[in-house]
Amino acid sequence: MFFNSTTFFVFLSIVFLLYWSLSKNLKTQNILLLISSYIFYGWWDYRFLALIIASTIVDYFVGLQIEKSTEKSKRKKWLLVSLIFNIGLLVFFKYYNFFIESWVDSLSLLGYSIENTWSLKIILPVGISFYTFQTLSYSIDIYKNKISPTKDFISFATFVSFFPQLVAGPIERASNLLPQILNPRKYTYEGLSSGIKLMIFGFFLKLVIADRAAIYVNAVFNNVENHDGLTFIAATIMFSFQIYGDFAGYSLIAIGVAKMFGLNLMTNFKRPYFSASIGEFWNRWHISLSTWFKDYVYIPLGGNRTKKWRWLFNLFITFLISGLWHGSNWTFIVWGALNGLYLIMEVLIFKRKIRTGIFNIIPTFILINFAWIFFRANTLQDAIFIIIKIFTKPGYLYFGYGEDIIAFFYAALAIGLLIFVEIKKEFFNSYFSVFNNKHEIIRLSAYALVIFIIFYLGVFGESQFIYFQF
Amino acid sequence: MINTQLKYTFAKVLKFIVIIFIIDFGLGFIAKELFLSQETGKFARSTYAITKAKENILIFGSSHAHRHYVPEVIEKKTGKTCYNAGADGQQLVYHSALQGMIFKRTLPELIILNIDENFLFKSEKAFDRLDDLNPYYDDYSNELDPVFNLKSKYADPKLFFKAYQNNSTLIQAVRYYLAPQETPQGYRPLFEKMTFDKLTSHREDIQEKEYTEEIDSVFVKTLENFINEAKTNNVKLVFVTSPNLIPRNVSKNKSLTEIKAIAKSKNIPFYNYLNSKDFANKLDLFYDPSHLNDNGARLFTGLLIDSILNDNKKHFN
Repeated sequence: MFFNSTTFFVFLSIVFLLYWSLSKNLKTQNILLLISSYIFYGWWDYRFLALIIASTIVDYFVGLQIEKSTEKSKRKKWLLVSLIFNIGLLVFFKYYNFFIESWVDSLSLLGYSIENTWSLKIILPVGISFYTFQTLSYSIDIYKNKISPTKDFISFATFVSFFPQLVAGPIERASNLLPQILNPRKYTYEGLSSGIKLMIFGFFLKLVIADRAAIYVNAVFNNVENHDGLTFIAATIMFSFQIYGDFAGYSLIAIGVAKMFGLNLMTNFKRPYFSASIGEFWNRWHISLSTWFKDYVYIPLGGNRTKKWRWLFNLFITFLISGLWHGSNWTFIVWGALNGLYLIMEVLIFKRKIRTGIFNIIPTFILINFAWIFFRANTLQDAIFIIIKIFTKPGYLYFGYGEDIIAFFYAALAIGLLIFVEIKKEFFNSYFSVFNNKHEIIRLSAYALVIFIIFYLGVFGESQFIYFQF
Repeated sequence: MINTQLKYTFAKVLKFIVIIFIIDFGLGFIAKELFLSQETGKFARSTYAITKAKENILIFGSSHAHRHYVPEVIEKKTGKTCYNAGADGQQLVYHSALQGMIFKRTLPELIILNIDENFLFKSEKAFDRLDDLNPYYDDYSNELDPVFNLKSKYADPKLFFKAYQNNSTLIQAVRYYLAPQETPQGYRPLFEKMTFDKLTSHREDIQEKEYTEEIDSVFVKTLENFINEAKTNNVKLVFVTSPNLIPRNVSKNKSLTEIKAIAKSKNIPFYNYLNSKDFANKLDLFYDPSHLNDNGARLFTGLLIDSILNDNKKHFN
């Protein structure tokens, strides 16, 4: 079920009304949330519900066993069960074919040509990268004595499959979400109101920014041989806003929906394109994933409390794995490696000096955009072709043919709107604000105006969110 | 406590809905006026056909209609007024909706419906492109609902918003204001000629088609309704397939076979120029493999009207 579908709005209204009508009985309320989450997920493909349920049962059981075990070796063995099961699921469904094909390709490069008979027809279950990471963090946190396991299976299953964030995050930690599910929630108008407001902004980002930009971006990146440097620069900049609108939009809708149910999810984006360094960018972009990798990969590898070369290696490996997490394609791995290299260069050149200001924001934006070329290109060859064209043949800027010409200008208009709003929030937040104005009529009119803009300028094709594929 | 919160929520939500309604009504009105103020371009043409056209002869169809039928030629030969209401990329469901909206106000004497090769084949795009008619929804909901509901039995709740009715029309309006489009009586000529070099870039059009597509029963029903509506209102109707540069073996094209059968059973004249020898392989008459240029369009319109006049001497004398 997509957030940007009429079905979702009907679903959300029914679940919302039922949920608060059951507010006197926490257990029934959680059962409703769990069933609703399974319906939400099963709407896409009910067969893959088995994977979520299996992952839930394994980590529920593992969590209790780790807590029960007093010997360190036993606790480790139970943790290994969770790691092998969840990473195994991920590797099989997401990376099996990629590893096989890469192995066959590398053998053929070395002159040993073999026929690939091992590839399988595997459908990637939506959201598998998100919920496996969420359940993994639960078991790891229990192992590290950061949290205690819950004995309430329904609440734990609700934590794993909570529908607003199930398929594309934010990747929640048990320490934040689970206690909220275990304790009674109280209905407040403020919860509903702030939830709806976040959803409105989320839909603006998705329908007006991301889906508009996608029309132009797809036209260029899916036909690279027909375009030149200037067009690739424009399409890459548009993609940077497309992916931001798409993913930050999804996160805002997820956080907003959760608020309607009295639950608070973590912030996932903080206007990342105003970052003055790559390090700062990763503190503002997909925060729930960045902090996950920091806590469960980077720090266990030794973090920065080690020799300098090892610190830099830890940074690089963490981003390489982060790239692989995004998709089973060399383009994502190069994207991750490039970000790792950026951070290494930053450490070597600027040490730990904090940088601010427009003269640092612009170069950071350019570097991030350069890396996005690999993220969006369909193949590594395409990405290299695009980069060569950017530096060797600027050519003419493509606007589209016939009616398609409109797509470019809509995207430019939408991105202009977003930049205006983001600059206001980032640098002039304390000045006149229509969204937090003391006069209710101004506040409500401002939100009504955003709804008008969504319906007037948005794209309504019920298109998929980009991060569903991860 | 909960009751107090609920009452408070209800009051606030109601207030918000009223404000949304006022903003949507006010700005939606401006958006619609901007839309209707267009003087050239595809929306200006559809607006003219729906709200103003009083011509005796109307042309319906996709880009083939829009680019192949020259009203000036038709008017000279028949002595009747003519408007080309063809619309790029549009298919049968759109023509059906257009017919309903036009018939609400006026009845032409003759409709020439240009039949495309894929007219009855399943097509999601045919429904998606109906969005072009959303700006007229407020004034023509009775005519549009039956067509919109062909895809889904549930009405689209988004159409309640005037903002959505006028979705994606802003830049179109600005575009045609800054760069007006020449379309005399709805006809938009193509002036370039086809060359051998250009032909090689149209591989799909050159290759022999296999026609594996399936017929959509919804489209068959829509075509029958289109005919019935014309007959009920005493509007004469003719079907025409316009010429193609490369002759096609259409014996396996289920869509054309079905349309011919329907036309025969309903006594609708069918003029088939698809593989006409007057046009086949004549590069200088085409812009691309399936679109005539202005010279080709004038020749085709002349030949077609001569045939229609010949078959309907009584009507046009």
